[in-house]
Amino acid sequence: MTHDATTAPAAPASAGGLLSALTRPQVYMSLLALSSILLIPLISGSPFLIHVFVTICVFAALSSAWNIVGGYAGQLSLGHMMFYGIGAYTTALLVQHFGLTPWIGMWVGAVIAATVGVAIGYPCFRLRGPFFSLSTIAFLEVIRLLAIHFVGFTGGSAGLIVPLQIGWKWMVFTDKANYLFIAFALLLICMAASLMVRRSRLGFYLTAVREREDAALAAGIDNSGVKLKAVIISAMLTALIGAFHAMYLTFLEPATMFSLGTSIEVAMFSLIGGLGTVAGPLLGTVLVVPLAELARGWLGAQANGLHGFVYGTVLVLITLTLPAGLVGTFGPAVSRWIDRLPGGGRREALRIAPALRTLGGTKGETILEAKDLVMKFGGLTATDNVSVSLKRGEILGIIGPNGAGKTTLFNQISGFLTPTSGTIAVRGHDGTMVSPTAADAFARLGVGRTFQIVQPFGGLSVIENIMIGAFLRHPGVEDARAVALRVAAVVGLLDVKDVEARNLPIGALKRLEVARTLAGEPDILLLDEVMAGQNQTDTMGMVELIRSIRDTGVTVIAIEHNMQAIMSLSDRIVVIDSGRVIAEGDPKEVVKNRKVIEAYLGEDFVDAQGF
Amino acid sequence: MDVFIQLIVNGIMLGSMYAIISVGLTLIFGVVRVVNFAHGELLMVGMYAVYLLFAKFGLHPYASAVPVVILLFCLGMAIQRFIIQPLLNADEHIQIFATVGLSTALVNLALMLFGADLYSVSAPDVRRSVTFAGNTVLVGQLVMLGASILLVGGLHAFMQTTALGRAIRATAQNRNAALLMGVRVDRIYLVSFGLGAACVGLASALVSPLFPATPTVGTYFVLTAFVVVVLGGMRSMYGAFAGAMIIGLVDSLSAYYIAPDLKEVVYFAIFILILIFKPTGLFGFGRGTE
Repeated sequence: MTHDATTAPAAPASAGGLLSALTRPQVYMSLLALSSILLIPLISGSPFLIHVFVTICVFAALSSAWNIVGGYAGQLSLGHMMFYGIGAYTTALLVQHFGLTPWIGMWVGAVIAATVGVAIGYPCFRLRGPFFSLSTIAFLEVIRLLAIHFVGFTGGSAGLIVPLQIGWKWMVFTDKANYLFIAFALLLICMAASLMVRRSRLGFYLTAVREREDAALAAGIDNSGVKLKAVIISAMLTALIGAFHAMYLTFLEPATMFSLGTSIEVAMFSLIGGLGTVAGPLLGTVLVVPLAELARGWLGAQANGLHGFVYGTVLVLITLTLPAGLVGTFGPAVSRWIDRLPGGGRREALRIAPALRTLGGTKGETILEAKDLVMKFGGLTATDNVSVSLKRGEILGIIGPNGAGKTTLFNQISGFLTPTSGTIAVRGHDGTMVSPTAADAFARLGVGRTFQIVQPFGGLSVIENIMIGAFLRHPGVEDARAVALRVAAVVGLLDVKDVEARNLPIGALKRLEVARTLAGEPDILLLDEVMAGQNQTDTMGMVELIRSIRDTGVTVIAIEHNMQAIMSLSDRIVVIDSGRVIAEGDPKEVVKNRKVIEAYLGEDFVDAQGF
Repeated sequence: MDVFIQLIVNGIMLGSMYAIISVGLTLIFGVVRVVNFAHGELLMVGMYAVYLLFAKFGLHPYASAVPVVILLFCLGMAIQRFIIQPLLNADEHIQIFATVGLSTALVNLALMLFGADLYSVSAPDVRRSVTFAGNTVLVGQLVMLGASILLVGGLHAFMQTTALGRAIRATAQNRNAALLMGVRVDRIYLVSFGLGAACVGLASALVSPLFPATPTVGTYFVLTAFVVVVLGGMRSMYGAFAGAMIIGLVDSLSAYYIAPDLKEVVYFAIFILILIFKPTGLFGFGRGTE
């Protein structure tokens, strides 16, 4: 690891080279702002300022690392200093006992921190908001108490002094400016990692999982897998910073290395700057840390508690007035302003969408086979021995009165519910029948579904929503964007592509459901009442759309209450009532079936009509 | 064997203290559905109030229960009105940050006003020990046991028999349905948060003679209170009481049989296991963490 102050963290990987990147106002303004963190203290030469800026770099780096889990993944860890402490203690102990240089020791610490992060994250990620936060606090406390308890190993509460060997090899210096170089490099690394995650498929996936777990599963995202990736990155970065900071402070004690208060501060800087933004953690730190350090410098012991009081009060005020943080609130305006500087306002060249996945298999073969599905919720049997077999290339309509068990059937054949008994098999891409167990595995196999109650990722734009689906077959962000644009055009969402999904009317949301699913290029498309809430023209459009989807080789199952539409669309109809299949076959035959009319209109009606 | 029985007795005494601190937390979470990370700081405020009343006016800590309960009731309502209420429909993480921020601000305010020194009230009558069947307990601990049973029983009776109690229960069950039935949900939340804080006021009057007030005393107790409440299933008074007793016993026994400085590790481990494997609490009383 070397310090390389010229690394441009904001440089996009697109074509055009370094010069083109550097003349973008977003890039050169970011570089100017970042370099001032290095230049101000160096030019002043004041040891106090150098200390303040080392502290700023460390906390901004910690906060950026935290933001990957707390902001992007929405998992509000309040125990993040456990990773910092693990990095610090590992490095210091390796120096002390084995004479290992901190430059290697810090990576050992990072690996241990990542392991601990996975061990904690795996069971705890299923916990809801505050309980996840509480569990991270509990883990932090446990680690702190263990560090105090094992005196022989860690030095206990009395602390541990880093052996004073001076030089680059030992990361201990008499010239404090060297600390600033390392701290600044760490900040750059953390921000670059944060930016890379944000702009990658992982970043989109984390947002999707944070916003709606079910819709993320339906898009084929392994929810806990992406969160674990985030925690690995975040824990490793945090441990690296902890290792450096221990060498800087030269003294380690459990109370400060595993501090709940500091964990909260690190999270707080992100919130003030803007949760889930790249610049937010740095901005929050730059605004708040100097205040606290100056207060400590001027008022000394009298200010005991003052900076904490200010921190707490600012935190409450921010939640009440600017919950999106500074970047979240003012960011768009600032970035429009920056875009007007020389070199700004460039547009990315449009990319040609990659070819559609070709769907193999022979028409008419069984592509999905559900046998004897029984689903019991307590005393209620929602599906009672339902068997459905789907042929490649057909459109199968599923109808039935409200509460018949249609959506429950869908939930089972898309993996969202595990049937009490019965089996589901899907034809895999190699032609064999397989039975996946998790919803995201169904999606990856090519079973795409929409939700009856629409599940948009509200904070993302329409095009980003569709991209979440497209990532399933196209991991590259630009490819996914191109695919999403193509799909948006097909379903008629192109004119609202940059609108936040939460602002769409219901008709457009229904189409967005279809678009997101379609972007995943499924073999089987499960449509749950996509025509509900659509006007007459939109319904006609949807019928046409479903036909054209089928013509590309996709097999469709649709639940629908719009009888006219579903009857004209379907090759075959299955009628479900009270959890059982009561009729099956050609649409024309099914509508005349006595049992079907009974189910919809009651026995009396059937008798009165004299069927 | 003698040691064991004494440890059990100590455990029950500790448990009753945890119970009296946790009841308010259960009430607030059960009704307002907000996890109040500043709960411990309410205790801290109460304990400083008890100390000040004792130091300035020579008021016995038990006598100061009345003004402190009223003070905390008002403080609780103020927190609900000015911090929680505006954030009721905000994202969950914003609510967490708000109460965490409040907690940080209060701890440090105490640090500014009182410094890091310990402030104890002297109440020799409360600290007197009584011996029965070879076991020693403090008078103050017995009072706490009695008070915690009365508090849980009293709150239960209040919830079951009064109109306000019914309205609170209805709101806890389903906020929107209660609203449609004409319950003034905002006021119910105000009262519930106030009541929850008032319970902490009572707790601080009872805890003060046994523990000195420090800025971080709340942090020490609140983590235990969260363990207790999760163990009890989050929304059940009786669950919280039983959870408190269990943690009291675990505390007492593990401090003796494992190591005094590892007792928290033991019950934090229990806490994490319960959260992961039995989120409805040990007895399935509450609706758990869903």
